Amino acid sequence: MIPLSFYLGLAALLFSIGLYGVMTHKSGIRLIMCIELMLNSANLNLVAFSSYTDTLNGQVFALFSIALAAAEAAIGFAIFMAIYRMHDRINLDELNLLRW
Amino acid sequence: MLPVASLLILVPLIFAAVTFFAKTKEQAAGMGLLGSLVTLGLALYAYMNFDSSTAAMQFFESVEWIPSLGVSYTVGIDGISMPLILLNAIVIPLLVLYSWKEEREAPNRFYGLILTMQAAVIGVFVALDFFMFYIFWELTLIPLFFMVNIWGGEKRAHASYKFFIYTHVASLVMLLGIFGLFYAAWQQTGVPTFDIRELIAQFQFFESGMLRDAIFLAILFGFLAKIPTFPFHSWLPDAYSEAPTAGSVLFVLLKIGGYGLFRIILPMLPNTGSPNLIIAMMGLLGSVSILYGALLALRQKDLKRMIAYSSVSHMGYVTLGSAGLVALSVSGAMFQQFSHGLIMSILFMSAGAIHASAGTRIINELGGLARKMPKLAVIMMVGFMASLGLPGLTGFIAEFLVLTFSFVNLPGFVVIALLAIVITAGYHLWAMQRAMFGVYNEKLGDVKDINALQVFSMAVIALLVLYFGLNPSPVLDMMITNSEAIVSLAAAAGV
Amino acid sequence: MALEEFAFLIPVLPALAFVITFFFGKKLPSGGAIVPIAAIAASFVISFMITLGLLANPEEVVSQSVSWFAVLNLGVLIDPLAAVMLSMVTFVSLLIHIYAVGYMSHDPAKSRYFAETALFTAAMLSLILSDNILQLFVSWELVGLCSYLLIGFWFEKPSAASAAKKAFLTTRIGDVMFLTGIIVLTADLLKLAGGFTEGVYLLRFDEIFGYIPQLSALQANVFGFEVSHLTIITLLFFGGAVGKSGQFPLHVWLPDAMEGPTTVSALIHAATMVTAGVYLVARTFPMFIAAPDSLMVVAYFGGFTALFAGTMGIVMNDLKRVLAFSTISQLGYMMLGLGLGAAIGLEAVGVSLFHLINHAFFKALLFLCAGSVIHAVGTQDMRELGGVGKVMPITAATMAVAALALAGFGIPGTSIGTSGFFSKDAIIESAFLFGEHTHNWVPYLFSIAAALLTSIYIFRLIFMTFTGKPRSSYGGHESPAVMTIPLGILALFALVFGGLTQTGFMNFLEETFTNSFVSVDIGSLAEIGGNELVHAAGHEPLFILWLPLIVALAGLGIAFALYYLRAVDLGALASMKNPVYKLLYKRYYQHEIYTEFFSIGVVYGVVAFLAQVVDVVVDSIVEAVGIVTVAASEELRKIQTGVVQTYATVVIAGVSLLIILVKLIMEVL
Repeated sequence: MIPLSFYLGLAALLFSIGLYGVMTHKSGIRLIMCIELMLNSANLNLVAFSSYTDTLNGQVFALFSIALAAAEAAIGFAIFMAIYRMHDRINLDELNLLRW
Repeated sequence: MLPVASLLILVPLIFAAVTFFAKTKEQAAGMGLLGSLVTLGLALYAYMNFDSSTAAMQFFESVEWIPSLGVSYTVGIDGISMPLILLNAIVIPLLVLYSWKEEREAPNRFYGLILTMQAAVIGVFVALDFFMFYIFWELTLIPLFFMVNIWGGEKRAHASYKFFIYTHVASLVMLLGIFGLFYAAWQQTGVPTFDIRELIAQFQFFESGMLRDAIFLAILFGFLAKIPTFPFHSWLPDAYSEAPTAGSVLFVLLKIGGYGLFRIILPMLPNTGSPNLIIAMMGLLGSVSILYGALLALRQKDLKRMIAYSSVSHMGYVTLGSAGLVALSVSGAMFQQFSHGLIMSILFMSAGAIHASAGTRIINELGGLARKMPKLAVIMMVGFMASLGLPGLTGFIAEFLVLTFSFVNLPGFVVIALLAIVITAGYHLWAMQRAMFGVYNEKLGDVKDINALQVFSMAVIALLVLYFGLNPSPVLDMMITNSEAIVSLAAAAGV
Repeated sequence: MALEEFAFLIPVLPALAFVITFFFGKKLPSGGAIVPIAAIAASFVISFMITLGLLANPEEVVSQSVSWFAVLNLGVLIDPLAAVMLSMVTFVSLLIHIYAVGYMSHDPAKSRYFAETALFTAAMLSLILSDNILQLFVSWELVGLCSYLLIGFWFEKPSAASAAKKAFLTTRIGDVMFLTGIIVLTADLLKLAGGFTEGVYLLRFDEIFGYIPQLSALQANVFGFEVSHLTIITLLFFGGAVGKSGQFPLHVWLPDAMEGPTTVSALIHAATMVTAGVYLVARTFPMFIAAPDSLMVVAYFGGFTALFAGTMGIVMNDLKRVLAFSTISQLGYMMLGLGLGAAIGLEAVGVSLFHLINHAFFKALLFLCAGSVIHAVGTQDMRELGGVGKVMPITAATMAVAALALAGFGIPGTSIGTSGFFSKDAIIESAFLFGEHTHNWVPYLFSIAAALLTSIYIFRLIFMTFTGKPRSSYGGHESPAVMTIPLGILALFALVFGGLTQTGFMNFLEETFTNSFVSVDIGSLAEIGGNELVHAAGHEPLFILWLPLIVALAGLGIAFALYYLRAVDLGALASMKNPVYKLLYKRYYQHEIYTEFFSIGVVYGVVAFLAQVVDVVVDSIVEAVGIVTVAASEELRKIQTGVVQTYATVVIAGVSLLIILVKLIMEVL
């Protein structure tokens, strides 16, 4: 059996990659992809703990989380579509109406 | 017997709410007049049933409100608050009459705010619970802010914000002091309470001298900035002069700073670390305010700013008299509050009338108005003479009591204040001579005298100034009773 | 006698007359003059009856008190001192009011005039009969207010408004000193009495006089000198008197007070207002005599003022101004008379008050005559007058009588003479006695020199106005009977009052401080004050007795030679090129010193500094707090870039930092 720490290590790696992407990429699409990556790393943790402790709670949470991610992605893409129609691109640096 | 103390808050508040919904100017002014007249009736009822031979609370009511924090609805009237309530109740209906014929935007809000202000100020005077006290204390800011901000002069925005923020910051410092008092007392007794008298009684048992001083100074600062004394006065000239006439009069009726001195500061004073130092400081601030306000009033070009600075000077007597800590000097300070409210109402009404008909308040641009406005000239003369302390009018009684009996303990400061008397006469006469006497300035065009309602309202106040100047006992006696109680506390503590 | 019960009506009736005339005067004939005249006449009758009662029985004074507020009271005290003053004030004021019916007949605002003069009289009467120092001060201030209103009666004239203000402010300086004196006195009494006692009116004169020895024993350190509290209090009172009675250096308002109607000048100078200061010192005389050095100060100030004002009187060209300086000078005599109490004791009050009463008659007469001239001729510049005597014989004759009384003509050693002669000579002789006794000859020299000047300036006025040829074209006529009858009555009094009452008057006033109200022993009080009294009056050398008459005749002679015969050409002497003349004509540059240097220079300098520096600094601190806050937020808000990723980065950085910190702390602990 693969030790728990491997799963956790993988999840941490995925989370960090996702976080890096969120902080650096200017494109909205990539941003959402990176967020998905972070969510999935969390899912991985949930499932791993679930299997390790022999309960089903974690898997249920993971299912919730996937559903949430889907909903979030749908809203996110809808917003970006609207932005794309206005600006012809989705550059996050230009979306600074809320500054100051 | 009627629960007068509660009604005195409720009636103006309810009428204020109704007035906000008035459709026309007549309705609004009528509601304002009706509400303030009912309040006047209540105040007179309270005064008739008032026993001035005792310093105890009368018309006392107490209901629990938030028991877990010791907050209660406690109201009562004694000799410190009665005259001030009377002052408010008398002047507000006259103020409504005075402004009856003026044209302005949103009269419903205007009269509504006047009544709200009345409720808030009376609320401060009757509240015996720090929680309520603070609520009403802060509530007074709101009508004044809008008064200046909506109907004020050219620099109304600046003046209103300055006044609001300045006094609000001071109030917050005071709030810190109140919290300190509350928690320290809670720790002391194990029972939370916001009762003003209970907290003051507990104050002396706090072990840490530094804590007591910190609490005391925080609360004192809140009051001194509201009175205001030098050097916390700088909001006053702007706010007083930018406010519309009714706003200035409301400012004048805002006697809560001085009231706090008598109600809270003086009973606490003997138990601070170095009472004598604090007395000296208050005496100094009071006498410097008297002289400083007078000197600056001498230089003002704007009639209203001059009156505003003279107000700083007059309120100095309140601080000085409180610091004097002799029964009669303290009652002199109380009487000064009463008298100042009446006198300054006349002065601001006069200045407002001049501004309304001549179109300017700059003293040098006026001249010879007495010919065109003879009625105003007579009433204004009474006001000015009262303000410069002419015997036979209320100002003299207050100043005489304060100066004479403060001299027992604080001779040096009284001498400083005495220097101001000639200057006080100087700027009043100077303004009178330039504005009212001499050759009529033809550039002013055809100036009309004040209307009958204005004559009535100002004349009533002028007559009261004369009446209480000749016979101060109806309000002075209850003041003396209470000051004796305050001073005996100090004497018991050996100050 | 039941009449004494109504003593309080003496000031109340004119006060009521004020109210009625002020509100309803316009609807009444001749501006409602009848109301104050009736009221003052009634007051006069009451005063006079009470005075007669007192003359018969000086011990039984009228005294009533009611509580006013706190421990202070209002009250009536009519003792010999108050009685003579009351009778004089009501009488002179009554005549002036009657005269004013004619004098003011053309003025549209005459109802206001009569209302204000009624109040003026009421305030003065209340001042005289008050039985405590506070009520005296209150009335004192009301007198000041009325003088302000009346001097500024023609308020549309800028000079009148300005003179009114000057009068009020100058006397106010004195008033503040007086008030300070009362404050010190009250604080001391409070200390000595050990608090308040129910039913004891602290500031009533009997209480105050009872504490004189203790007050005198209190010492204070003023600028390194040990001074008795009593000296401080009395000198402060005297400061008030200096302001009100126009003594040097606060006399500057009095000549300017001529801007009001002439009848007002007559009221101020004769009956009301200026005599108040003398009265105050007389009223508190037991305090003064028990205070070391105080009376000496009074004597010197009085004597100097008498001379000083006289020097200015001889160069003035304005009819009324000459009279104004004459008033200042004569008030100086009265003060001097009181100051002489250091040697002659209580007699000083009698001497001084005697002069006060006589002066009231002849000075009222002088002013009313001057008013009569101005009313008829329309100018008051003596250079434009001349020969008025032919047009107005009655006025000229009465004025000549007044001049003789002022200059003090009479035969020493007999009871033949004008009123002024008896009282002024009494003061000068007392000054001689004072000099002989204390070796302070200065007051005597002052008084003799002033007597010479008095005679010169008053006859200069008479000759320039009434004799010779008209120097400008004016139409004139004798005044109506309503004006000349008061003149005649006053002239009669100026002529004979002094001679008739001389000794009786003095004896009557000696009773002032020993009666049913208060009883003080002046002799022992004088010892407290270190004043040795002499009792051997009346054996001065013959030359001293005749000297005042001689200088008066000399003055008449000089004036006759210079202004009637025109023996010397005065053109060179009386020109601005003559530095002495210029100094006098410019009134010793008081305007420059007081107004331009002190008021405008010093006071306005201080005020400018306060307004432009201190207040700006105080206000700037407040404003700066606001500005700094706004500026700081202007910079700090730039942190909010609006880019979500920046926020995310900062959040991550913060969380990481927190974890590291927690970790570190855990390890340290």
